[in-house]
Amino acid sequence: MHINYWGEVKRDGFGCAGLAMLALLAFMAAGAPILSQYPPAEYTGAIFQPPSAQYWLGTNDVGQDIWAQLLYGARTTLAVGSGAALLSLLLSILAGGLAAMAGGFWDRALMRLVDALIVIPPVIVAILAAAYFRPGITMLIVLLSAFLWPDGARMVRSQVLSVKERMHVSAARTFGAGWLYLLLRHVIPELGPVLTAIMVLNFRRAVFMEAGLSFLGVSDPAVISWGKMMQQALSFSYLEVWKWWLIPAGAALSMTIAALTCTGFALEKTMNPRLKKEMRSGNACNKRIDCIVQRPAGFERYKPYP
Amino acid sequence: MRRALTFCGVLQMKKGFLFNYLIALVIILTLNFILPRLMPGDPLQAIYGCEAMIVMTPELKAELTRRFSLDMSLDRQFQSYIASLLRGDFGHSYFYNVPVSKVILGCFPWTILLVGLALFISTGLGVLAGVESGYRRGLPPDRFLLGLFMGLSGLPDFFIGILLLLVFGVSLGLVPLAGAVTPYSGQGTAAIVLDVLHHLALPLAALVLSRITAIYLLTRNTMITTLGENFIITARAKGCANHVIRYRHAGRNSLLPVVTAAGLQLSHLITGALFVEIVFSYPGLGTLLYNSLLTRDYPLLQGILLLATLTVLTVNFLVDIIYSKIDPRICYAH
Repeated sequence: MHINYWGEVKRDGFGCAGLAMLALLAFMAAGAPILSQYPPAEYTGAIFQPPSAQYWLGTNDVGQDIWAQLLYGARTTLAVGSGAALLSLLLSILAGGLAAMAGGFWDRALMRLVDALIVIPPVIVAILAAAYFRPGITMLIVLLSAFLWPDGARMVRSQVLSVKERMHVSAARTFGAGWLYLLLRHVIPELGPVLTAIMVLNFRRAVFMEAGLSFLGVSDPAVISWGKMMQQALSFSYLEVWKWWLIPAGAALSMTIAALTCTGFALEKTMNPRLKKEMRSGNACNKRIDCIVQRPAGFERYKPYP
Repeated sequence: MRRALTFCGVLQMKKGFLFNYLIALVIILTLNFILPRLMPGDPLQAIYGCEAMIVMTPELKAELTRRFSLDMSLDRQFQSYIASLLRGDFGHSYFYNVPVSKVILGCFPWTILLVGLALFISTGLGVLAGVESGYRRGLPPDRFLLGLFMGLSGLPDFFIGILLLLVFGVSLGLVPLAGAVTPYSGQGTAAIVLDVLHHLALPLAALVLSRITAIYLLTRNTMITTLGENFIITARAKGCANHVIRYRHAGRNSLLPVVTAAGLQLSHLITGALFVEIVFSYPGLGTLLYNSLLTRDYPLLQGILLLATLTVLTVNFLVDIIYSKIDPRICYAH
């Protein structure tokens, strides 16, 4: 599997578009203080202003600059999305890796837990937990990761199972390496592309869930978020303000999700060359992620090594 | 790997996923039980919210402490929590001042109506579009449908709802902006049904649009794979008409993954309905959830989310059982 993934993704039209949109978002988030004239939470002196040279997207019901809020909202989305993607990936690697490397009891127990967690509807339970905690950004990351890791753990497990039978891993094992050392030094480096795919997928789901939670208003009131902007704007739908308040927030959110979908699609095509022959774009949006990565033969009935 | 499909084997498989669902159930119940008790301060305050505590008399407080067994050990509290759930007692809604189960039952039918219709319509349209699109892979109609549905999948469900509301409700004024029925307009069954459908149209459209992509892509992918099979060539050699091949041979075989996905689809639909209902102020569980969040009516909030989760779990379980019946090749890894 020696493919230049980065080059392949760059050559793909979808991949380019996705990466470009993500770069634009990152630029918006990083340059928020420079690109906007007002701090996002500050009263600017006028409420319900239409867009003008002074207020690029007008002001909202409490006189905050909407353009500034949009930029700072990108920060929240990217922070929560990438944070949750990283943390849940870490959990997936730990659980999936331990299950595959240790086998036996650990494998059965962890996979049983994963099977049980996968049938729980994540958004509903996240709403419940968020209603009590009123999570800020850090807490949101932890909360979302708790619901995102099981899918990834399954994929990591199946991949580790196939990698760990390779020669160099066996060699290391004969030298007395423990499971954690084997996992970190020999198995994980081989899984780069799969892990990236899991991260992109979880990123997308985390963005969706964060927007939903803040749309319900269950996150920390101090966090500026596109979902919350939409919630606030929706109660003024009888005024004209939705044109420059609600629509930009929704469009930015949709753009983020589209960017992640495109990137994931390109990655998937790179990793699974069989898809290149035909336009089969389905799996990128399909949340049953097992189907993205082909399960290696013999995955179902796995015998732990003696 | 292939397990002999004896009666015993089937029974074992069912036990396998029954066990998964039991674990899931225990996790959910524990979470519902432990979250209010994890909060700092008085657990009664976490269970009932700050507002309720202001008007609470010492006698009422003592009575509630006794009812939740808050003066006993944690496992006794858990026992009494489970016992009251089994009696159908979800607690007392502070805001509506009636039992939670009563409030929820008043709203649940609207959500069932919305989700049920959305499931049928999105599955029907999705399969139809998927079959047609997969049959014409690479041709302009296929590309158009694929682009359209891929674009739709990037929009969050509540944003689709908002867009529809703004275009058809606010700008064009074609449909009512909120509610499920026009009050005091009941004149005969036909008029009421029309009125309900009139109110239902936009939330339903939003829900269908947000969920149709998954079904469409699934059907399209299976359709493409199935069309390469030998029996399709045989059917062509026999001289079957195109539409017969498309629907009776290939289309029917593309239904299987759709059935598997139905459980997953339903759990997404229920979650989506909660959000879509809020946008349209449709008087189902979603709007109730939103109100309970605004008024900090925690017992009601817990009841709604518990009911939604239990519904999803039950449906997934049923789908798992049905699926193992229609496709005997399914064996679970554990």
